[in-house]
Amino acid sequence: MDTSKRRLLGQIAAVSAGAVFIPLAEADGDNTPTKGKRYGMLIDLRRCVGCQACTVACTIENQPPLGQFRTTVNQYEVTEGDNSAFMMLPRLCNHCENPPCIPVCPTGATFQRQDGIVVVNNDWCVGCGYCVQACPYDARFLNHETNTADKCTFCAHRLDAGLLPACVETCVGEARIIGDLNDPASRISQLLAQYRDDIKVLRPSMGTQPRVFYLGMNQAFAERIRGEAPVRTLMTDSGKELHHGH
Amino acid sequence: MDKSKRRFIKGAAITGGAGLFVAGYSHTLGQLGKGVVTGSSGTVTDSAIHGNSLAPELQIDLKTGIMVANAEQRLANSMCLGCWTRCGVRTRIDNKTDKILRITGNPYHPLSAREHLNFDTPIKESLLHTSAYQEQGLDGRSTACARGNAMLELLDSPHRVTHCLKRVGPRGSGKWQTIAFEQLLQEVVEGGDLFGEGHVDGLRAIRDIKTPLDADNPEYGPKANQLLVTNASDEGRDVFIKRFTFNSFGTRNFANHGSYCGFTYRAGAGALLDDLKKYSHLKPDWDKAEFLLFIGTSPAQSGNPFKRQARQLAHDRSERNFSYVVVSPMLPNSSSLAAAPDNLWLPIRPATDASLAMAMLRWIIDNQRYAQAFLTAPNAKAAEAAGYRGFSNATFLIHSDEQDPRYGQYLHASELGLPFSGEAFGKEDPILVQDNDSGKLVPAGKCNKARLEVNEVITQGAINIRCQSSFSLLAASARSQTIEQYSAECDIPVADIIALADKFTSHGTKAAVITHGGTMSTNGFYSAWAIMMLNAMIGNINQPGGALAKGGAYPAFGKGPRYNLAEFDGMVQPKGVFLSRSKFPYEKSSEFKRKKAAGESPYPAKEPWFPISSPLLSEHLTAAVAGYPYHLKAWINHMGNPLYGQTGLVTAIGAQLKDPKVLPLLVSIDSFINETSALSDYIVPDTLTYESWGWTSAWHGTMTKVSTGRWPIVSPRVEHTADGDPVCMESFLTNVAMKLGLPGFGDNAVQAADGSMHPLTRAADYSLYGAANVAWAGQPVPDINDEDRRWSGVERIIPELKARLQPEEVAKTAYLFARGGRFEPISKARDAEGNPTHVWPKPLMLWNPEVGSRHHSQSGEFLSGCPRSYGPRLVNGQPLREAFSQEQWPMLLSSYKSHVQSAMSIGSDRLRQVHPNNPVRINKTTAESFGIHTGDTVRISTPNGSVIALVECVSGIHPECIAIEHGFGHKELGARDTVINGQLIAANPLTQVGVNLNDLSILDPSRHGRYPLVDWASGSAARQGLPAKIEKVSL
Repeated sequence: MDTSKRRLLGQIAAVSAGAVFIPLAEADGDNTPTKGKRYGMLIDLRRCVGCQACTVACTIENQPPLGQFRTTVNQYEVTEGDNSAFMMLPRLCNHCENPPCIPVCPTGATFQRQDGIVVVNNDWCVGCGYCVQACPYDARFLNHETNTADKCTFCAHRLDAGLLPACVETCVGEARIIGDLNDPASRISQLLAQYRDDIKVLRPSMGTQPRVFYLGMNQAFAERIRGEAPVRTLMTDSGKELHHGH
Repeated sequence: MDKSKRRFIKGAAITGGAGLFVAGYSHTLGQLGKGVVTGSSGTVTDSAIHGNSLAPELQIDLKTGIMVANAEQRLANSMCLGCWTRCGVRTRIDNKTDKILRITGNPYHPLSAREHLNFDTPIKESLLHTSAYQEQGLDGRSTACARGNAMLELLDSPHRVTHCLKRVGPRGSGKWQTIAFEQLLQEVVEGGDLFGEGHVDGLRAIRDIKTPLDADNPEYGPKANQLLVTNASDEGRDVFIKRFTFNSFGTRNFANHGSYCGFTYRAGAGALLDDLKKYSHLKPDWDKAEFLLFIGTSPAQSGNPFKRQARQLAHDRSERNFSYVVVSPMLPNSSSLAAAPDNLWLPIRPATDASLAMAMLRWIIDNQRYAQAFLTAPNAKAAEAAGYRGFSNATFLIHSDEQDPRYGQYLHASELGLPFSGEAFGKEDPILVQDNDSGKLVPAGKCNKARLEVNEVITQGAINIRCQSSFSLLAASARSQTIEQYSAECDIPVADIIALADKFTSHGTKAAVITHGGTMSTNGFYSAWAIMMLNAMIGNINQPGGALAKGGAYPAFGKGPRYNLAEFDGMVQPKGVFLSRSKFPYEKSSEFKRKKAAGESPYPAKEPWFPISSPLLSEHLTAAVAGYPYHLKAWINHMGNPLYGQTGLVTAIGAQLKDPKVLPLLVSIDSFINETSALSDYIVPDTLTYESWGWTSAWHGTMTKVSTGRWPIVSPRVEHTADGDPVCMESFLTNVAMKLGLPGFGDNAVQAADGSMHPLTRAADYSLYGAANVAWAGQPVPDINDEDRRWSGVERIIPELKARLQPEEVAKTAYLFARGGRFEPISKARDAEGNPTHVWPKPLMLWNPEVGSRHHSQSGEFLSGCPRSYGPRLVNGQPLREAFSQEQWPMLLSSYKSHVQSAMSIGSDRLRQVHPNNPVRINKTTAESFGIHTGDTVRISTPNGSVIALVECVSGIHPECIAIEHGFGHKELGARDTVINGQLIAANPLTQVGVNLNDLSILDPSRHGRYPLVDWASGSAARQGLPAKIEKVSL
């Protein structure tokens, strides 16, 4: 069997990819281990097929108002020369080690649990929206029904019950891995160690120390992405406009 | 290294650097949801921290694994019908409201889990298997796709049909009245002046299985053929509908959606696999392949099984030595920059896949890159000795002189006076090959190695027969054009074609190519066959890493170990010509004989006949409207939606179907009013997958046996009959049959293996008997234990099992339903050497005599018996571009499947919010030349249709292509106001959004009535490569 051509494909990629590498090790501060669990998520982008199962499962499990999302998967067409490819980028709250949403909260409604999960106490939240603005990841929104800040909780209610988050459970490509970063035997710890130089986080320059990690991310996606917005207008085939996107 | 390889590899290295990002779906549609900001303080959440998140279904102690159920919920394994993959799913149900709260995958099910759980695993353990306990769920994950998650919303949709409906006013008015089930039965069976529009024949009058419906054309069969029964597809109850249709009522006319779904693939694969009866196909061995080529199908975007292939693609490209190329007019979700560079998208001009495949075949043949040892082995034993696991007919000799009355057929021993037994041309009359060493003619079964290239006159005494080997005929066909000519047709550079052919033939048998709906063009059959033929060149059939047949099933509805569900006393064998003129050569028709007798040329037939095809819904309805070969008197349609699904059908016959004089009785059985059932006279409500019984299997690509069993996991929302049965498809057909006194239904309709007789009177009966057959197939399954009963939700149906089954069957069928069916362990997929256990036994057909000896009914010419590049064309053979010039119609339409919406999923709010529209994609550079930019409003026109659409201008699409995602542009399914008993059920305008490619029609100008374009050879609907134009409009 002739494998020479396949090897060659790999070599070319390595040269090209090497030029844009910034390993997590250089972009992120140290993770100070705390006692007990510290939840984090690893998303293997090579496995993400952009199917949106996680997005839908999350909205059904967590029942945000229609049109508001705790997690999304953005799909980007990337073109270089004659070649185009898709990049799928699932996004959610990064449950940062240094979460910028917490200090701006005037009531203390937003806080970090012992296990690292950043949550909002709906009884205390006054819906001022400071946290929504402070988050560099657009991970928060003001829930139209509750008028409180809303966001991904890693499905803490499920983790606390010994179950997996909805998005992880239904991830068709098995791209999403959740686990205890403080347990070296956990799957996520092992993968982070195995792929240490290839792991990236979103917007490392913000110093937030995210605990959602990406494998297979093109460096261009780590910071703000330049590009065209998708078409959001809703129109029928006779030209009747039902909703204009913004 | 030569230039072509460099170019190909350069194409693969898509990484890094500044690029153009065109974002996809990150829509916030706040205004559209129910959660409009009220201005005052919002509603209080269920939990301070967890908001309104659902209460967990279980509590599991992560230290001990001790599990406690949430008493307010239950879990039950069921089947999804969000698309036609039909995955096994696990549902979570609220006990108080009987609503489904959430859906994930069933871990016992191979379509939902990467490595499905062993069938004998206790239910409780299956719950731990998907949980966070010991991180088991990370590998034990069993998933539902976006649709599968969301389809629960359909259960209590305001647009559901729950009562029997009769139209008020003309067909399609959108106005209905509810009527009692008994009244509906009476009217449909007995007929009468049902709408004040004159007399309508009921089913009793139509059901005449003796009198010919047309005395001048007796081959059309009896009058009973004037009932057409259609079923969208086999969602688990297809065999039941066929029992009613064929064997009880006795009409020949039955069809499903295949002919406007992906029949070109099935026909092309069937021609390769010598199976023009069931049209088997092949899928790759995903776990072992080193290189896969997808032409006209795009895993993770489309294809079946959708979710399983998406998962396999994700796994292979991140974990294994694996690379793949996807050839498609538009960039599909198969593409992954993150997994670059071992995946590549090659853009192709729509509907020219045959040109690419024939070019690759030519290069492979010219450069002898084919598996010589495989192709020269004329039988299975010889192939096995050469290291292969299947064989081909490459060396079989074919009559190759068109004047020869046996043109296109095999050369048999009897023709040359060589020994044979039985009848001439029978099974024991050997097919001849030329022995490789001696050059003598010997039976294919007795030769170890035969000559591949043969083209000579065989002389035996006075007998002279011009013969060619199958391989030589294929080679000649491939060489009918140069690679440069093929390249010009498909717009893939010669260097890329060569590099692709080189790559494909560089992995031994650990490579495969597949196709599917991308070949639904006017030359679809030959495109699909040409693509699939590439597999024969490398001999990958049944090989690890190659192309595989399906794993099979535990049959539910055959002559089973418990019940004979295939036969019954008085069963009718339907007779006559299908409306679609399928599986019947035109030359046997009275029309042909009349023309011959009158001394006229018998060609062309009035309309094309399709001798190699299955019954085609794409031609049944147009035939019925035109009255050729004959008219219909009634149509019963279960869930089918051809007016939405078949390109051009609405334009062709939408108005005619509204006229009761054209088709007098139209009854639909459906849970929703779709674009087709909207024209019905009556609608019978139907149970959804979560409410009904049924047995399905898996698509190809699953290497083990799969029988998915579903059961009512929630109470059916439909009305009930007087004796308490849900009103649904089964209760309707059963009661029609009993009212008509048809065989096969009623008391004593089903015989058990012990000779006892059993009733077929209630909706559940047939599926329950089927369950018993599955339970006893091979080694009977165990009885269910108390723990499984409690954790699986089947407790609820035990009373029904007890009421309808024999006592010893209850605990075994409950064992199946608890697991959502019966599944062969994954360890059975391969033998000890890693070879796939389920193999395709027949030879691969380089030349298929069943095809090559048939004439096309319009030109009178022979159909090519091997793949050939015919190019897009009308049914009379005229090139499409001659009929519709490039100047006037510069663009070509391409339909692609949505990874989010299916044809029937638009009603789910939670799904639609994620992906609410389908802006059409066109190439950025092309768009600029038209002055069109992303977000512009355009008019897209075809010769017989036009829609207004929004555009997304992208780089990832062929410059001549307009790509339209399927699943949008609905006119029904909640998109229109409906009035029932004077009460308005308001439309949800959001379900109207977008466009449906199928509204962009082209009627075939070479035909004599209103017929949409179809594949000239197979009659499948054509939706790829339709000439079109696009212009910017301002509204």
